[in-house]
Amino acid sequence: MRKVSSGTKTADTVFHVATGIAASSPVVLLLAIAAVVVVQSIPSIRLMGWHFITGIEWNVGDTYGALMHKNGVTAAAGASFGALPFIVGTLASSVIALLIAIPVALFTALILAYRLRGWVQWILSILVELLAGIPSVVIGLWGMVVLAPFVAHGLGPALTHVGVVIPYLRGPVGTGMGLLTSGIVLAVMVVPIITATTRDLLQQVPVLYREGGIGLGMTTWEVVRYIAVPYIREGFIGAVALGWGRAMGETMAVLMVSGNAINFLPHNLYSPISSMAAVIASQLDSAMSDGSGMAVHALSELALVLLVLTLFTNLLARLLVSRVHHRRRGVRA
Amino acid sequence: MSQPISVQNLRAWYGNQLTLKGIDMELPASQVTAIIGPSGCGKSTFIRCLNRMHETVPGARVEGDVHLGTEDLYKGDPVDVRRMIGMVFQKPNPFPTLSIFDNIALGLRLGGMRNRGQLREAVERSLQMAALWGEVKDRLSEPATSLSGGQQQRLCIARAIAVQPEVLLMDEPASALDPVSTLRVEELVEQLKDTYTIVIVTHNMQQAARVADETAFFLNGELVEFADTTTIFTNPGDKRTEDYITGRFG
Repeated sequence: MRKVSSGTKTADTVFHVATGIAASSPVVLLLAIAAVVVVQSIPSIRLMGWHFITGIEWNVGDTYGALMHKNGVTAAAGASFGALPFIVGTLASSVIALLIAIPVALFTALILAYRLRGWVQWILSILVELLAGIPSVVIGLWGMVVLAPFVAHGLGPALTHVGVVIPYLRGPVGTGMGLLTSGIVLAVMVVPIITATTRDLLQQVPVLYREGGIGLGMTTWEVVRYIAVPYIREGFIGAVALGWGRAMGETMAVLMVSGNAINFLPHNLYSPISSMAAVIASQLDSAMSDGSGMAVHALSELALVLLVLTLFTNLLARLLVSRVHHRRRGVRA
Repeated sequence: MSQPISVQNLRAWYGNQLTLKGIDMELPASQVTAIIGPSGCGKSTFIRCLNRMHETVPGARVEGDVHLGTEDLYKGDPVDVRRMIGMVFQKPNPFPTLSIFDNIALGLRLGGMRNRGQLREAVERSLQMAALWGEVKDRLSEPATSLSGGQQQRLCIARAIAVQPEVLLMDEPASALDPVSTLRVEELVEQLKDTYTIVIVTHNMQQAARVADETAFFLNGELVEFADTTTIFTNPGDKRTEDYITGRFG
């Protein structure tokens, strides 16, 4: 029997080790990040307890004065970390983003998947992907320079007129930096993500099923409404959840247009807000100067809340998207 | 009252490829017309032109005249044409997200039937006509995909006849079915022909001989011969028809 040369065997060992390291790195990284965030949060959790997610006062305390001892941990005197305004800011702005993005993305995807052909479809598809690739700081800049003034002087006043009927739209409008502007900026970032996924899902709907509807004399809209959309429903919800996770985690663009509210809850659609991600980014520098370290722990706990929320929505998204693929295999066709 | 279909100089393309090269045909009312021919001869394309399905394929194009009775099918909205001319496809394609009941009720609802009692009656009548009622009457709310392939195809037939079209097109309706299911579909065609003008595409010559009153033989996008079924199978007028039905090619 001819022996395989030892050089080949060494290469194989190297290959196994290298792929093993590469394959395990996502798990290791995720666990490492989660562990750091959890460990860093513990002092803040002990200090604030549930008040962290129910309180509205965020105050690092007198970082140059005396220290305060409470619940077995040390913090600057007068420190209080109530993150509710940021949690509400994140949830409200991302939900507004989804309310805008879902119809836009669904209709764009329908047009891309079923109405357009050839090079027009190709170019529009590329444009959607490009939109997804715009750095968030650029969209934030657009939000500050163009969108915020428009919300303050155009869209906001117009919506307040509608507010006579729909109370949620009532003013005052303010500077244009706030909840609505954040939501629109996030929508711009989320639309391409939902559109691209939904377009792919729609293209997976077998022609045979759509022809069943067409052959029955259904209009294009009826085929979409009763056959295509129900067929991809779970996957679409998954795509929305994917976009939601993105919207909640977005930092820079929201930081630039949110109005950086602190210590109060948004009182209307135009109210300044802060999101969890934006607060972590903007407050970390000053938190470093807290000798007790508690401010950093509090920001870590904020990161923990954000991580849990985004992981949850992402998991949900994966689960739902994969269920569509399972059903495809189950169907006799 | 069903009406005849008259086809004049019908030509159809996929992109640049001419797949139907000028078909002239009169399909009689309340009869079963079978379209036979080897793969790629244009028989499916032909019936997809009758309900304007052909043009839904990207790059596809049609020229010529198709009349149902006196009505020009290529004037006006194709959606209206397809409500008059039902279609059953090669593979069973019930709406996968809907129940057995809703598969049939959907077309009726879109046609404007709202009354629940009326809907139930119409669904039951269609399932009876499709010889499926006995098998599904206790499981109407189950998903259509829980049925067997043969049952699914009969559900598709029920779905097509529920909206009371004038013509029923069947594009190799039994080609994906087992022999027993095939037989049931053929029996069904026999029963339905009193009510509908039926055009059935088949690659199975025995099937054509069993179910059809008239048979048309297509070859390379042309209509070679069209006569009553007995003549086609016992005394064909064209050498190519004879070669095909005796199994010399195809």
